[in-house]
Amino acid sequence: MTAGTMLRVEGLGRAFGGVYAVREVNLSVAEGETRAVIGPNGAGKSTLFNLISGHLTADQGSVHYRTGETLHPIDRLSAHSRARQGIAIVFQGARLFHGMTALENVMVGAHARTRHGFVAAALRLPRHHREEAAIRADALAALDRVGLKEWAHRSADVLPLGQQRALQVARALCARPRLLLLDEPASGLRAGEREALARLIESLRAEGLTMMLIEHDVAFVARLADRVTVLDLGEEIAEGTPEEIRGHDAVLAAYLGQESAA
Amino acid sequence: MTQQLTPAQARISFADLAARLRSPRTLAVLAVCATALLLPQILSGSDMPVYVTLLLSAIVVTGLSMLMGYAGQVSLGHASFYLIGAYTAALIATHDKPTWLGLLAAPFAAALVAAVIGIPLLRLRGHQLAFATLAMQLILLNVVGQQEWTGGDIGLQGVPRLTVAGYEFATVSSYAYLALGALAVVVLITRNVVASRPGRGLRALATSEVAAESAGVPVVAYKLVVFSLSAGFAGLAGGIYAFYTGYVAPGSFPVLLSFEFVVMAVIGGLGTIWGALAGATAITLLLQQLNELGTAEGMPSSAPVVLSYAVYGVLLVLVVLFLPRGLVPSARDWWVRRRRPNPEP
Repeated sequence: MTAGTMLRVEGLGRAFGGVYAVREVNLSVAEGETRAVIGPNGAGKSTLFNLISGHLTADQGSVHYRTGETLHPIDRLSAHSRARQGIAIVFQGARLFHGMTALENVMVGAHARTRHGFVAAALRLPRHHREEAAIRADALAALDRVGLKEWAHRSADVLPLGQQRALQVARALCARPRLLLLDEPASGLRAGEREALARLIESLRAEGLTMMLIEHDVAFVARLADRVTVLDLGEEIAEGTPEEIRGHDAVLAAYLGQESAA
Repeated sequence: MTQQLTPAQARISFADLAARLRSPRTLAVLAVCATALLLPQILSGSDMPVYVTLLLSAIVVTGLSMLMGYAGQVSLGHASFYLIGAYTAALIATHDKPTWLGLLAAPFAAALVAAVIGIPLLRLRGHQLAFATLAMQLILLNVVGQQEWTGGDIGLQGVPRLTVAGYEFATVSSYAYLALGALAVVVLITRNVVASRPGRGLRALATSEVAAESAGVPVVAYKLVVFSLSAGFAGLAGGIYAFYTGYVAPGSFPVLLSFEFVVMAVIGGLGTIWGALAGATAITLLLQQLNELGTAEGMPSSAPVVLSYAVYGVLLVLVVLFLPRGLVPSARDWWVRRRRPNPEP
């Protein structure tokens, strides 16, 4: 059944040098759901996100994504085409664009849903003026939402780590995504910044945005996620609500070692 | 429906315009434009060819600066596209076709070749791309030098003067104005592109292709378009060059010319249009001065070589050491620091 499903991953596998980073992963994310993906280091969480966003191609299996009323396979689509379909990703490291202001960085995010190209820009066609004004307004709104409006015209290169992460989130929001992938957005943030991020994710959740979130902090996950998928050595070992996962034997074994769990 | 301005609004618009005109930036632009337009009237006969060469270089370097400075893609073979433009114009003009058609076809031919060879070439990055573009020029020079229809090593002689709508570009100053017009178009296109949605996409992919892709930037297509666009600019300059000199030969487009374009872009300051113009001006004038000095009466026979290579090289090293970002960004930083009020003690 596909009704209400935003993303379905079937038998997804990807190996690097003969070692599987992701193997036979199956999962289904409902529209409006916040899905946490947890697991020890090297479990394949980021690889899974990159397979969904199109930055890596799968060796096996497929990714289906909702466009219109039904799910469609998106395996053959490039990363930028998937972005145009509404899949946005916030990377673990701060991947800002150097030599650009915070506002310009966020405006790049609007690429996913705007169209005018080199000819319209070079000739300053009306379409260019219309879209530019709308992109700027949306980018300012996205910056305001993550609390960075006063940084808009400053170079993104001088932002502290917390703000850099927030800027990436603003860039993703400027794309008006339908599925937002957040790869450890809270890592390295101070307590106040984590709280601000948690509140932002809560507000996006309240608006019905479908999100997937990689996170190590159990309390953070329990607060924000509807369901949790646990990966270990590239394989899915458990799925359930945060409460179900907390007492799951296989999860305890993966995190604490077989003997401790036993 | 056209909006009618009230007298008060009109006064405000005029006030805005006047304020804009008084800004140092606008004044500088106007001064540069006025000087560029007046120079053909002022310069002596022997200086005019240097001015035309400078303008043609500036056209190529503006495109190269967009490719390298904004999109982060290196080309060590940009003289190839200058060559393709020149040969396209010369071939069309020497085959009894209208000369204006030759000039029109020159940028398109260069852009088309760039689009085709860019598909495999732009999969490479950094120094690999630099070497590949260099190899491209070496191959092209070899091919052009051996074909009968391109005139082999001798090239194509007797390219007729450019004629557009009955007007023949016969004098050096007419080519200076033609090159100025072409430069204005190229600068305008570049300015419009870099300060727009595709321009932001180019600057984004220069930092991180992965992050740019994730934001919806079609990285491969954008790299191809900017490569073709910058090649088209070089082709346009090449087209004008063919009509201006009246002949084209492989020897006019050595690999050193490609290096010179890169040096101009770097010295002027990558990632600024003014940097491209300043770099082309500074290097063209420097080379001309060194050449004049080396061949001056009373100079030893080794002077031309020492000045054109050793002194030129040392000057470039000094600029890169002390102004690593190039002339224009360094001047801009200096200006900003000068205007910033001193902090209170």
